[in-house]
Amino acid sequence: MKHLLAVTALATGILASLPGLAQDKTVVSFLHKFPEPENMAYFDAAVAEFEAANPTIDIVMEAVADEPYKDKIRVLMASDQVPDIYFSWSGEFGRKFAREGRTLDLTEALKGPEWQGRFAAASLEPFQFEGKQFGIPVNVDSKYMIYNKAIFEKHGLSVPTTFAEFIALNDALLAAGEVPIAYGNQAPWAATHYIGDLFAKMVPDEVRQADYQLLAPADQLYTHPGYVEALALYKSFGDKGYFNSGANAISHQQARGAFIAGRSAMVYLELVEFYMLADTPVAEQGWGFFPLPPMEGAAGRNDLLTGAPDGFLISAKTEHPEEALAFLNFLTSPEQAAKYVSTTGMTSAVIGSVTEETTTPETLAGLKALEDAAGMALWLDTDMDTASANVILAAGQGLLSGDETPEAVMEKVRAAAKETLAQR
Amino acid sequence: MTDRSDHSRATWRQSLQGWLWVAPALLFLVIFVYGPALTNIRFSLFSFSAMSLDWDFVGLNNYLRLWSDPKFTTALTNNAVYAVISVTCQVGIALVLAAVLEARIFPDFSANLFRTALFLPSILPVVVVGLVWQLLLTPTTGLIDQILWETGLASWSRAWLGEPDTAIFAVIFVSQWQWTGYIMALFMVAIRAVPRDLYEAMEIDGASGVQQFWHITVPGVRETILIVTIITILGSLKVFDIVWVMTAGGPNHSSEVLGTMMYRAAFRDDMIGYSSTIATVIFFIALTIGLVQIKLQKDR
Repeated sequence: MKHLLAVTALATGILASLPGLAQDKTVVSFLHKFPEPENMAYFDAAVAEFEAANPTIDIVMEAVADEPYKDKIRVLMASDQVPDIYFSWSGEFGRKFAREGRTLDLTEALKGPEWQGRFAAASLEPFQFEGKQFGIPVNVDSKYMIYNKAIFEKHGLSVPTTFAEFIALNDALLAAGEVPIAYGNQAPWAATHYIGDLFAKMVPDEVRQADYQLLAPADQLYTHPGYVEALALYKSFGDKGYFNSGANAISHQQARGAFIAGRSAMVYLELVEFYMLADTPVAEQGWGFFPLPPMEGAAGRNDLLTGAPDGFLISAKTEHPEEALAFLNFLTSPEQAAKYVSTTGMTSAVIGSVTEETTTPETLAGLKALEDAAGMALWLDTDMDTASANVILAAGQGLLSGDETPEAVMEKVRAAAKETLAQR
Repeated sequence: MTDRSDHSRATWRQSLQGWLWVAPALLFLVIFVYGPALTNIRFSLFSFSAMSLDWDFVGLNNYLRLWSDPKFTTALTNNAVYAVISVTCQVGIALVLAAVLEARIFPDFSANLFRTALFLPSILPVVVVGLVWQLLLTPTTGLIDQILWETGLASWSRAWLGEPDTAIFAVIFVSQWQWTGYIMALFMVAIRAVPRDLYEAMEIDGASGVQQFWHITVPGVRETILIVTIITILGSLKVFDIVWVMTAGGPNHSSEVLGTMMYRAAFRDDMIGYSSTIATVIFFIALTIGLVQIKLQKDR
């Protein structure tokens, strides 16, 4: 009995002293959306390395997957339990946080010498709101049409350089009995990547930006005919059979699998998916990529690539801004960025981190194409206001199933945008 | 006078004891059920987003907006269809299956095999069921499509989850596949409680199996029928997980139900007040069904 009491007392003493030990450290909470094993391998190592170099800082990291992250961050925001450092997509998704004053202004901090020349302006710009930097980019991504070289060679086809050639290519593949494009639109963000790219090509840039950010007068929002034309073009892809049948019932992952298995000639993939094609049947057959080609005579910009950087924000209410910034500085240092690229297969927004040593030749070429582009047309569903984006998300499915017309969709977008504008 | 006073004191003491016994459960209910329900009703009178800490009082505007929202009509219709089909399958068909398996028509081995096979889906997680059926229903490469092609029924082939006309029915079908066996097991227990003498008496009188079903089994398990019907209707009203996993309410909101609509409003559209309005409507529909159940049980 005495022994039991002694052990209990000892255990109680140890437990009581633990909070004391923890209190000696500055705890910085860090929430991101990269829970995949290869990503966690990097983040776990990075946190351990940072904590070893900064023994007074304790990084409490939590990772949830892409979709649950959208729920979790909203719950944390609504309950005012915002982590010190948290992930955000760029564009309107991040601007929402900045608009409501939930992010720390990093404009001055990023003027420090250690930050100079670290990021391209195109990566920083999507994390700016009203001239202030509210986030730090961590990776960059863009969208490309991937093609199966064996299928192209079999039918004597070549990479299109104009949109008209791209249409002709699809017609040729269709005539040859091939499924031109593997497409999974069950989660309708996939549609917004096509539609967003077409909007960028077919609507003048200043008009599109004014619409997306609700800066245009209410009666002029989304009135440019390019929107309807872009939706009609997207719909025609489905109607003509360029996409596989039943795209609305297939996930993006299944579509990617179909392309990998050689059941389609092309698939629209993100740069960060390139590494998934290694050691697959399509890798043996050979694959290449090209951005959706420029559209002759279109009113918008042909020199933009659809894509966006992802990044990290610091909570406006953090009690440890310096420590949080120090961690982000460490995480986006050239050395760490190189480790991030080589460990995860992702790209990095840090200039010089994606090299032949850290990634595949295809990813390197994809990043080069992104650097050569004049800018990015951000993911549509994170760039428009939420209500308007939701209309487009549903319409991406409705246009394919024949339940929506381009005109009706844009009418709904206008109504949603006007309502959001009225509430601001 | 003293007697009455003692009696009253004893009753009061007994009553207090009773209250003390139920106090923890009552407290739990108030904190986790009634409190949030009332708070939710208050939320429904405001317009606010998850990002912002500013709340705008909008009165009943959220309710007016919901009333004119075409997605609400779609969701309500889908919930109603879900309930009708679920009651038909999970009460009607499950009762018939239970009666057949309990009627000793099949040898014990076959009956046990059927019972296990029918019950098995209900022990699987909904997410797993949803994902597996999603693969089975995949156009072209899915097993269902392959079977249709192989059996000369290619004209029936379609993107079951990708077409607005079929998406909700495909989800409802999967739900019936999962839960009919479970309800059947409940009915089997209820049927076993019906005295065997009654069946034997009717058999001696020359009654057929169908007559025994209508005149002994159905009246004998009517309490279970009522409870199961109410549970099934409430389940159809609250359904969320299987729809979210299989279609997420798509394509183009065609398979939206109240649960997915509420979730989408809160966690995708950042309209917490509007989402609370949908939750309040679900709450009052469920409350009405609950009251009907209490009334029906009292009438017996």
